[in-house]
Amino acid sequence: MTEHEQTGLADDASAETATEGGTNDNRQPDRGTPIRAETVDAALDALHGEGMAGYSYAYLDEHTKREVRRATLKAIAIPGHQVPYASRPMPLARGWGTGGIQVSLSVLGPDDTFKVIDQGTDGSVNAANIRRLAEETANVSTTTDTTEADVIQTRHRIPEEVLCDDQLLVLQVPVTDPLRKVDPSDAANRKRHAHRNYGKMWVHLYENVVEWGEINIGASYPTMVAGRYLMSPSPIPRWDTPKLDDADHLSIFAAGREARIYAVPPNTRVKPLAFEDRQFTVERFPDRACHLCGSEDTFLVELSETRDGSDGRFETCYVCNDTSFCEKRHSDPDRPKDHHLDREGVDWGPGTPDVPRTTADDAASERGESG
Amino acid sequence: MGYVAAVAGEELIQRAEALFEKQRVAGDSDDLTLEQLDDQLGRLTSQVMSEAGLYAPRLAALAVKQAQGDTVEAAFLLRAYRSTLERFDETRPTLTSEMLACRRVSPSFKDVPGGQILGPTKDYTQRLLDFTLADSETVDPTAGWELEEAGEPEPLTNVMELLREEGLVAAPENPAADERREPVDTTREPLTHPVSRDAVLQELARGETGAVTALGYSALRGYGQVHPTLAEVRVGKLPVRIEHPYTGEEVTMTHTEVTESEAVVPLYAKRDDPQFAFGYGLTFGRNERKAIGMTVLDASIQVNSTEEPAENAEFVLDTVDGMDSFGFIEHLKLPHYVTFQSILDRIRSIRERKEAAAEPTTDQPGGGDETDADKVETDRGRSIEASQGAPEGSNGD
Repeated sequence: MTEHEQTGLADDASAETATEGGTNDNRQPDRGTPIRAETVDAALDALHGEGMAGYSYAYLDEHTKREVRRATLKAIAIPGHQVPYASRPMPLARGWGTGGIQVSLSVLGPDDTFKVIDQGTDGSVNAANIRRLAEETANVSTTTDTTEADVIQTRHRIPEEVLCDDQLLVLQVPVTDPLRKVDPSDAANRKRHAHRNYGKMWVHLYENVVEWGEINIGASYPTMVAGRYLMSPSPIPRWDTPKLDDADHLSIFAAGREARIYAVPPNTRVKPLAFEDRQFTVERFPDRACHLCGSEDTFLVELSETRDGSDGRFETCYVCNDTSFCEKRHSDPDRPKDHHLDREGVDWGPGTPDVPRTTADDAASERGESG
Repeated sequence: MGYVAAVAGEELIQRAEALFEKQRVAGDSDDLTLEQLDDQLGRLTSQVMSEAGLYAPRLAALAVKQAQGDTVEAAFLLRAYRSTLERFDETRPTLTSEMLACRRVSPSFKDVPGGQILGPTKDYTQRLLDFTLADSETVDPTAGWELEEAGEPEPLTNVMELLREEGLVAAPENPAADERREPVDTTREPLTHPVSRDAVLQELARGETGAVTALGYSALRGYGQVHPTLAEVRVGKLPVRIEHPYTGEEVTMTHTEVTESEAVVPLYAKRDDPQFAFGYGLTFGRNERKAIGMTVLDASIQVNSTEEPAENAEFVLDTVDGMDSFGFIEHLKLPHYVTFQSILDRIRSIRERKEAAAEPTTDQPGGGDETDADKVETDRGRSIEASQGAPEGSNGD
């Protein structure tokens, strides 16, 4: 549409500094985006640009995009800190990625390539729905190839392929505060964050160990960011959590319903909470390989299906959760996760070695095969 | 291979949409017109407008039609549309004492200035199904009424004002002139706690009718101290006024129908000068239930305690919004393969540990194999029972 509409993060940074001196700027009523035109007809014509008829470029009005970008910049400046923003009603239901799509639409420009994954796959209905909203309103091209995307919006996975410093990962967040499980009050938890008072969380983990012998948190494992803020990495599996540590890419976490944005900038320390004698462990897939591509170093999900000759009996098998990478491995089984980088051996994936094999693990794998 | 339950593209989504739309048109009946919805199902469009925070009867009728009568979905359509609109101006504040009421009841006084106006209500109707409505021609039951010329309608005296003049009811906070600020707009500013009363009122006014009613009821049911006496409930029209952009004069653009409710609460606000506390409710359209529920919640939140759900602003505002609760409740239908795999790993790990601990050593003297096997089974059963509190699930993703 116009140059003004395509401002990126950098432009907004200067815009923010410019208005910072103004007093009570944010109390001014929102008068919308002025359109410069000689006549009313010209002004109305100017409203129609690329994208969906009758709507702004990238759906959101420019005020909203600016606000989201400002919140995002603040979040990057204070890694792990939850920044409130006035989340707008989107044409998607809240809880279905409305925070993620607000960030994505605020940073996407027409030259960008956009990838959307939902629980590891580009093919899910909700991912397709979010993708087509961006396609229709922001004129972006889309891809399922992780290495080709400029912006990746994701629900609860970090792709298997290593992300680079020119890529932006937008993670959808259902529950913003890891302390919610120990106290439902955000007001109380905000104070805890301010004082870096995470005692209640430590006690919770300790009680876990006492009751179950280990920490029984599945996804959205609480992590410390840059040694300062406790953060929920969103419900990504523990498998993906170490990928946030000292990453090359920028991760932005966005919640629409809870109206918060937070971020992990590149090369930031991200450390899961754990005890010296109860280490952080990732999901185990002992002796498992992807049923389709044979990968043993990817996050697998299990499914039950009937196979030829099984007389209609259901059998459990495992497949890669990242369907895009699984396809690549299918044609090239030895392709490393950093195949697209200049350097090799990038540490990406499970951050801790598998827990030492025990007899219990053996028993489990036997049971899995027979059942 | 069907391991992605929903492999999809645009076509699949469009087909699902088409099937949904087909449900609406599958019958042989005529298409509902927006006029029919607006005229005949006014309660429905009122509810949608109030939950959307947008007064637009025709758009509300369209939303109701498109959502096939699902009020939350319809309010959602309106809100999503509203959020894309340019804001041209802001209206001047209106005193609700200007209201031209078609209905006004005061449960606190038998005789109130201006009198009780029963107006259109079902309150005292026997709830019997009227089978004549099923197939009869529409008749206007008031057609034969002989009406006198009533003259110009007069605004009614506000009952709450009378009580305030007597010093019986605490006044709302009225900050000094230099501390006054523009009201918060929670659609444009993020809500953080502690929250100001104007933000509370805005959120309650946009709250889901069922949620406002249920939470208000919870206070009356005993989970709270507030049991108000309504000063009055009024239904009527209020003018929408703006400053003319060229002349600068105040002009009335249109009117909105609203329901207003005010209550006194027998909680004495001050010890040295005992006064009743109060509550206030206002919704778009005719929706007395929601307005009264809002009144109870406003009064309860002013008590400001964490003892009772309705008195805890955070609890009420976190749960009262239809769009939030609807979206998050229904998102549970989305795939959760990853988070579920993650938690499967945890419960298996814990179960394996327990099983390993329970397993007898093979060269244990005495005891037949069968007995040991039984024991393991029993322990396993126990460990399943014991895991009722765990694992932590997928943490509400």
